[in-house]
Amino acid sequence: MSCAIWEERVALFAGGDLETGEAAAVERHLNQCAACSALAADLRLELDGLRQVHAEPLAAGHYAAVRGRVLAELAKPPRRRLVWPWAWAAALAVAAAGACVVWVMIKPAAIPAPELPRLLAVAPTAQRSRDRQGAVISAHVRRRRTERAAPSVNEQRRLEVAEVVRPPSPRPPAAEDSPVRMVQLATADPNVVIYWLFEEKGEER
Amino acid sequence: MKALALAAAELGDEPEGRDVTLEAARAGDRAAFDLLMRRHERLVLGTAYRLAGNLEDAQDASQEVFLRLYRNLAKLEAGNLAAWLYRVTVNVCHDARRRRPGTVPVDDAPELAAAGDPQQSADQAEQRALLLRSLRMLSEKERAALVLRDLEGLSTAEVAGVLGSSVGTVRSQISKARLKMRDFVERYSRRRL
Repeated sequence: MSCAIWEERVALFAGGDLETGEAAAVERHLNQCAACSALAADLRLELDGLRQVHAEPLAAGHYAAVRGRVLAELAKPPRRRLVWPWAWAAALAVAAAGACVVWVMIKPAAIPAPELPRLLAVAPTAQRSRDRQGAVISAHVRRRRTERAAPSVNEQRRLEVAEVVRPPSPRPPAAEDSPVRMVQLATADPNVVIYWLFEEKGEER
Repeated sequence: MKALALAAAELGDEPEGRDVTLEAARAGDRAAFDLLMRRHERLVLGTAYRLAGNLEDAQDASQEVFLRLYRNLAKLEAGNLAAWLYRVTVNVCHDARRRRPGTVPVDDAPELAAAGDPQQSADQAEQRALLLRSLRMLSEKERAALVLRDLEGLSTAEVAGVLGSSVGTVRSQISKARLKMRDFVERYSRRRL
């Protein structure tokens, strides 16, 4: 049985891997310890045997076979490079991002802004409580103001309807006497017409 | 790097000057590359054989090493070629071993003790087979360190450079590997008795 604390150093000593000082210390120990000395002898024997085995050359055919395989591989036409899955994923991501950009750019053109309401007519409506002389009639459309000299047939009909629903008045209402006015606005949708009723003070009905 | 420089000189490389064969191979000369392989095939196949443990795997590994050599010709320098080949050979063998794990642990080698008649097989061939078998009992790193140091004759520092380890680590791996081999041989000898 060798000394456990010396084993590693003896193993290195057997292969000539110790510095001069260390090797001398191990050598002194080997002179005193038969077990470690036997261990060192065994290790040297095994290393020598292994080196002899390794020194035996392989058959020339084995080397030639490797060379032949390598040259045959090199003679093959170059293979197409594999496109890795992550490359496909990256390409898809780029394509999706591009599609989003294009969609954002063309979206405003595809969906036009809604047309602003057009003023069709301003008409007096039924007087609510009392007449006010000199009432100012005004209708203001901020962005676009379209006034027509002659309303269309439909517009005329709407105006007539507005006249019909007006409640009877003790005296015929004059446009300038009535503080309550109706403004009829047409939108881009022919089914939607906006009626705006207002008073002089701005109180809407 | 004395041993590696010596190996390179023996193989025909010229660390101080130009290596005409290497330059011709770089230029695409297949005959020059064939010559380059012939120069280094002993180093590559011999090392791979000891690391892989069988000739078939060693040849596969050697083929891969030479193909990598061909692909990296432009980056390599003649003076570093031997060290580069050792490093790539070790890496390729380790990769192959990871793909096909087949290490026989030290405690699981009864077939060796039971194989053949002990009386008839106590000769050099058996001792040779026993030593090679003991090499296969080592871990990857221990085997690589021992093969490069004891069989290929590299210094401890050169082995450390090839394996990318410190000198201290390599010394530890080498001493453990030698002791494991010795234990294996001793155990086998006791079984025979």
